[in-house]
Formats: sequence, C-alpha cells, structure tokens
Amino acid sequence: MAAIKVNNLRKQFNSLVAVDGISFRVEAGEVFGLLGPNGAGKTTTINMLVGVLQPDGGEIEINGASDPTVPEVRRGIGNAPQAISLYDHLSAEENLAFFGRLYGLKGRTLAQRVAWALTFAGLTERKSDRTVTYSGGMQRRLNLACALIHDPPILLLDEPTVGVDPQSRNLIFEDIEELKGQGRTIIFTTHYMEEAQRLCDRVAIIDSGRILALDTVEKLIEQYGGTSVIEADLVAPPDDPDRLPGHLEGTHLRLETDRPLEELAHLSESGVRFHRLRVDRADLETVFLNLTGRRLRD
Amino acid sequence: MGSIGTLALKDLRLLGRDKFGLFWVLAFPLLFAIFFGSIFSGGGSGSKIKLAVVDQDSTSQSRAYIEEMQESDALAVTFLTLEEAEKRVRQGKLTAYVVLEPGFGDSPFSFFSGEVPLRVGIDPSRRAAAAYLRGILTQLSFKQVEKLISDREASQRELDRVLAQIDTSSGLPARQRQLLKDFFGSLSNLVQEEDTSFSFKGNVAEGIKMEAVTRESDQTTPRSSFEIFFPSAIMWALLGCAATFGISIVKERTGGTYLRLRLAPISRAQILTGKGLACFISCVVVALLLMLIGRLIFGVRIDNFGLLLLAIVACGCCFVGIMMAISVLGKTEEAVGGAGWAILLIMAMLGGGMVPIMVMPSWLQKIGVVSPIKWGILSLEGAIWRGFALSEMLLPVGVLVGVGALFFTIGVLRFRCSEF
Repeated sequence: MAAIKVNNLRKQFNSLVAVDGISFRVEAGEVFGLLGPNGAGKTTTINMLVGVLQPDGGEIEINGASDPTVPEVRRGIGNAPQAISLYDHLSAEENLAFFGRLYGLKGRTLAQRVAWALTFAGLTERKSDRTVTYSGGMQRRLNLACALIHDPPILLLDEPTVGVDPQSRNLIFEDIEELKGQGRTIIFTTHYMEEAQRLCDRVAIIDSGRILALDTVEKLIEQYGGTSVIEADLVAPPDDPDRLPGHLEGTHLRLETDRPLEELAHLSESGVRFHRLRVDRADLETVFLNLTGRRLRD
Repeated sequence: MGSIGTLALKDLRLLGRDKFGLFWVLAFPLLFAIFFGSIFSGGGSGSKIKLAVVDQDSTSQSRAYIEEMQESDALAVTFLTLEEAEKRVRQGKLTAYVVLEPGFGDSPFSFFSGEVPLRVGIDPSRRAAAAYLRGILTQLSFKQVEKLISDREASQRELDRVLAQIDTSSGLPARQRQLLKDFFGSLSNLVQEEDTSFSFKGNVAEGIKMEAVTRESDQTTPRSSFEIFFPSAIMWALLGCAATFGISIVKERTGGTYLRLRLAPISRAQILTGKGLACFISCVVVALLLMLIGRLIFGVRIDNFGLLLLAIVACGCCFVGIMMAISVLGKTEEAVGGAGWAILLIMAMLGGGMVPIMVMPSWLQKIGVVSPIKWGILSLEGAIWRGFALSEMLLPVGVLVGVGALFFTIGVLRFRCSEF
C-alpha cells in the first residue's frame, strides 16, 4: 500500500523551474531517498508534500488524502526541516512540549511523548538547558525529535545530517534506522550518497527539478554505475602474462569488470599474489556522475 | 489551553528571557519617565516645585494665600527678597518665585478681569513646570475667593467695592459693563439673603462661573511632571513591544520555526493571532506595571481607572497592528529592526513621545495628529489628569483601534504575499 503518491508535480518560482513534473510513490514502511545536489528541488518537493507550498500542477496523495493542509493529514506527518528549527531560548523539554501541544497533545500523553523524545535524542540529562547551549549534533537530534513528538507514521527528513560531526551523524543514522525498524514511512533528502546508500530502500536521483533515475541502490548501480576497476601491484610478474585478464605493465595490473569479487577470487586461485590491491566499485556518486556529467557536491 | 494560547505563552516566555527586549520594553521606558520627570519637576526635591515667595502686599489675604501655598503638597515654599529670589532662579537653585504685589489683598475678584496682582518668575525652558505652577496658583486663588465669600460681611464689602469700580471704570465696553454689573449685583443680592437654611459657601463654589474655572484648574492640569512623562514612557514601552514582537516574526521566518509552525495542524491565522495576543498582553502588562510604579513611587494620580484601562487596551490594539506592519518591512531581523525603529522614532518625535506635545510649536502639534503616539498619550492623559469623560475618550480610543486595525490588515496581507 502506498503511503505517499506524487504524480507529475510541478513548481516554478518566476523563471526558475524548481520541480519539473516529478512522479514517485513511497510504500508504507519504506525509506525513500531523494538524492541530489543543492538546488535540485528536494526541499521544494518536501514543502509541497506538507502543504506549505502550493504546487503549480500535479497531484499529491498522503495516506489516501489529496490535501496535505488538512489538519488530520498533518497530524500524520512529521517533518524535520533542513534548518535547525528550534527556539534557542527554550530548553529541549520546552521545545518538545510546545510542539506537542500544537499537535493537540496534553497531560500525561504529552509528558510521556516528551520523555520518549528526550530519550530518543539522548538529551534527557540536558533537558532543562536552553538549546542555544547545545552542540550542533545535539540540536540536530532535537530537531528530529520535535518532528516525532506526535508519533507520526510518515516522516519527512530534509537533509537531517547537514553540518554535524561524524559521531553525531552516526547517531542520527542509528536513530533513523530505529525509526525504520518501527515501521515508519520515511522520505529522506540528502546530497550525501553514502547516507542514501546506507539508509534507503529506494532512491530517486533528482537534478534540476527532474527525477533522473529511481530504483533500489543496487539496481541503480547495476544500471548506471558502469564497471568496477581493480588496480593491483603484484608481488612478482606472472609466468604467463597473457593468461591474466586486463592490462599488465610490469607488475601493475589494471582490470575493469562488472564482477570484481569473482575476478579477484579467480586471480587468487591462479596463484597471483598481491603486494597492493585497490578496488573502485561503482556507487551512487558514480551513478550520479554518469547520469548528469557532474559530481553530487559540485 | 488552545493553540493560540500556547503560541502566545511561548512568545511571552521568550520575551521574559530576552534581556535586550526587556530593556526596551520595561527598563528604558521607566528610565525615561524617571529622568525626564525629575528634570521637569524642578530642583530635584521629589515632585514638589521649589519656589520663593515675595510678599509685597503684606495683608491678611496675602498671608492667607501664602499659608495655602505652604500647605500645598506640590510646592516647597521659601521666603526671600525679590533680588535673592531672582538670583536663585537664574542659578537654577529654585524653579520659580512668586511675587504677591501690592493690592493683592484688595482684589480677590480680580481674576475675573485677568489682572491678578501676582507675578511669577520662572526659567522659560521649564514650560511644563510653568503650566503646572500656573494651575496650582489659580487653584489657590479660587480657594481664597471661596473663603472670602463664606464671610458674608467681608464679601458684601468687597462686592460693593467691585460694583463701584465697574461704574467708574472708563475702558469697559457698555455691554460688558452691564454684564459684570448684573453678575456682581446678583451675587450681592445672594449675599444679603436672610434665609438661614441657605448654605452660601457651597452654592457659590458650585456656581456657574466659579465651578467652571475651578474645574479647569483642578483637572486639566498635570499635578506633577511625572503625570506628563509616565504616559510618554508607556508609549516607549509599547514601541518596544511592537519592535520586539515584529522582529520576532521575522526571526521565526529566518530561523525556520515559522516553517515548523506552518507544518503543525494550525492555520496561519492562528499563528498570527497567537503572536498578536502575546504582543497585546505584553503591552497591557507593561503599561499597567509602569502606571503602578508611577502611582506608588512617583505619586501619579489616576482620575479614572476604568478609562485608563480602556486607553491601555486601545493602545495595545494599536501597537499589535503596528507590530504586524513592522514585521513585513524586510526579510531579515536587521532590516526589520532598522526600518521598524526608524519609523517608530519618527512616530514618537511627532506624537510627543520624546518631548511633551504641549511644548512643541503649534505647526508641529498639528502634524502630530498623524502619529498614533499622540493619540495614545492623549487617551492616557485623558484618564490620568485631563479629566476626560467617556465621550471625550471615544476619539483617541477610536483612532487608536482604527490605526491598529488598518496596520494589522496591511501587515497580514503583505505577510501572506511574502510567506515563502
């Protein structure tokens, strides 16, 4: 069952076409990635999904409802905006309670959800400190927790790891994996291909407002990634160089292949010993490069 | 608590933690009132006007008048020669001197012709104090007349003398002469009335001419300079509220929290109403707080508390509208803060927020009607010392609410156009 359906969605700001007829569907419980460089149209798409931007054309369907501005639909969505959207001079607890109240939570339910969100964000011990005193990673986690305060089944995470250190990023990854494990439907925008590769069931590669490719990470790499490259320095030149695949220069071997692991196993069985070995596998970065001719972080 | 209350409470909590905002909303207005109130109070002896009295008349009436001055809570009286008194006023050691000239005691009714033999010397820069002093002296003159009239024989003698003066006066137009003769003749008949049940003093004091003049001097003059500067201070507090909350709207937009609010199951109208409610509550609370400080510490007396509440509520409505209009003056906090304060300062300058409107030149006073500050101060003064009736309050209150509604509408329309 599709939790989100988008059909031929379009949005233009004056002469700039931000979103140019994109279509996709996200199944319930799926983590769906929108991968693209800055300015690709990811945030505009998210803002249209939650109803703060009116599309110029196309249809949106969220949990069967076509109007995301309806309060009941909004109660089913949690959104962690790209910018850290917190009140600096309120504490984590006050921020969570404030947003919880806006979603109609009160009394014991509110207190329980606030406690859960503080634990989720790892901020229980600092719940009374003003958020202005938090590190970037703590603020990011609280930003995410505020999107979860009303326990929504659908989560829209807009670049949730921008500007955080590797340790905090890893904690956020773990948070998202936990949410995925809870069966929530997640749309995740990023321009970090390793995030999409780790977290997403399916990825739409988006650029200049258009979806260039959409599939599982493996299939995208298989379809658009091209060959992997094995480069190796051999311990000694082989007795019969013509039997080796690829191109050999002295003891340096270079080999392009669709099945790098199989080729390595075959070389090893043939008695080839490696002094140094490097395998460049195709990834989403390669996919993006092959699709657009430029790198993701250009 | 509904969504609007939740939003308003959050903004009030944030204001309470914003030291810079609190300075403009509360500390600065209070300093303004204390500073200017003290400067214009004359000599720095609390709210009393320090003055010297020179009694050149030395009659029982002049001595009685001086006793009244000494009993006045608003005056600190010393006795000096005229030369010494002039010197001290010039040196700024005294606010003013009052000379009771020869003939003062012979002419208790002379205020009818505007020729009271009483001279005041005061630094022309202390115009507010001068107006205040003039009001007090007039009030004391009326008290003297009241006392005189209560003595039937003395007042009959005085009335006979005045009637004779009117007959012999050469400069009076015939019609005015006849009117004065009729008036004082009637007064003389009243004095001769034998009806013992007749309470002479009370009826004359409440008589048409006496009553009207007494009321003028008693209720339409500020009793201290603090009664002039506390309404101005309240305007500064409301300017601070409007600027602080106007900037906070932009801050919500640039900081991303507005986006989060828009994602919540609440409408844009609820978001803006919550912001407006917080601004309104702040305006009312700081205005009441300043008035309380003015009342308890600086002796500001409130003629009509109900009308004061009405004025404060109207001012609050007006500044909520101004806050909304300020918030759309730019896209950044710096732009809105800069442009907002520039406009608010012009409003304050024209409307009497910086210097009392009564000391402005007449052409500037006319221009001042375009400033909501002028109407805000007028409505507050109307309730504090101008003795406004409800019907007289309707104009300033109506202007304030109208301006607020207009600005709020403009602000909301522009806000919607520039939302994302």
